[in-house]
Amino acid sequence: MQTSQPQYFSFEEICCATELPSRTIIEIIDHGIIEPEGASPDDWSFNIHMITVTKKACRLHNDLDIDWAGIALAISLLDELEQLRQENRELHRRLQRFMDGE
Amino acid sequence: MEFKDYYKILAVTPEADSKAIKTAYRKLARKYHPDVSAHSEAEEKFKEVNEAYQVLKDTEKRAEYDELRQYAGQNQSTGGFQPPPGWQSSAGRQDSSHDADFSDFFSSIFGGAHRGQAGGFSQQGFNGKGQDIETDLPIFLEDTLANSTKNISYGLPHRDQQGRINQINKTLNVKIPAGVTDGERIRLKGQGEQGAGNAANGDLYLRIRLVPHPLFDVEAHNLVITVPLAPWEAALGAKIEVPTLSGKIKLSIPANSQTGQRMRIKGKGLVRKEGSGDLYAVLKVVMPTIINDGIRQYWQTLASEADFDPREEWSNS
Repeated sequence: MQTSQPQYFSFEEICCATELPSRTIIEIIDHGIIEPEGASPDDWSFNIHMITVTKKACRLHNDLDIDWAGIALAISLLDELEQLRQENRELHRRLQRFMDGE
Repeated sequence: MEFKDYYKILAVTPEADSKAIKTAYRKLARKYHPDVSAHSEAEEKFKEVNEAYQVLKDTEKRAEYDELRQYAGQNQSTGGFQPPPGWQSSAGRQDSSHDADFSDFFSSIFGGAHRGQAGGFSQQGFNGKGQDIETDLPIFLEDTLANSTKNISYGLPHRDQQGRINQINKTLNVKIPAGVTDGERIRLKGQGEQGAGNAANGDLYLRIRLVPHPLFDVEAHNLVITVPLAPWEAALGAKIEVPTLSGKIKLSIPANSQTGQRMRIKGKGLVRKEGSGDLYAVLKVVMPTIINDGIRQYWQTLASEADFDPREEWSNS
């Protein structure tokens, strides 16, 4: 049985999980792409969502040749787009329930 | 094997200079990047575009490719493309252990290529760590109320003894904690692709997808159900049975209820660490579909007795 749990990761662990050098992670944090809890690198705590955002940021950085400021903007816009799409799907579904004869 | 026209893939002419190729690549990469695009074949398209660019941006590889392209043009009738006998690339021959991201066509010409060059997807780490796998895990709303166990099956790249990469199916029993949300990820360490040599395995990321429910819609940690009412139930009030995720409950509909009105049923929403959400019953007055003469008579009486103009607002404008 594989147990999943909401995990929190240290700075060292996120470097290991994403296979990125610490300076890249710091760059991503400096641009506000992810915001770990804790005041200094020794106290930083990251969640799984931050790992996936970091990996996505790196893919966009490498594949599309976008600088980190651009990545920060792209990721926040992509998040907003996903939220709006989700909201749109939900509203559409609820509208259907009202329009269809049930 | 089909001959791949890299110029056509990048939508450039064979005479295009390196600047035009780079611009075309950037445009298509932005369009099809799987992290950005909603296109159903984004990942495949992106890999294709990336592969084309890896060849055309490299002067040596491009020259070799052009030579083969000419050869393929002269040998079309042979059915499928094969490189000329004894063909060996001097530009791209590399070890073939990481060629999962490029097509057979590419591999037959240039051998394998390191994933580091092949774009971000399924990159194998520099230290040989196996690649991470990300897959969707559909979950029914009912299954989020308490800890549950799910049997999952996913495809995993596996290297056989000859170094070839095949897809194998792996099955796991996974414990899903109560209160998981749509889009949340669960990480299973070491359940991704096997690492090379003594390197660590990749990880498995399961992305939770809540399956749309036939009755309930999700609004953050609350649920919404549409409750159809007969006109007289809305007018006179009624005590009705309403389904929840955990069994039926009685709900009192007050007299003079309207379509669209929301009633809160506390604690019958989704489970969250900070406490359960609520269920909202949204009322929807529906007309009876069969009306006989007797019923019509009642409606006629109502029409003449009730002093009601539903379009009152229009007369003021």
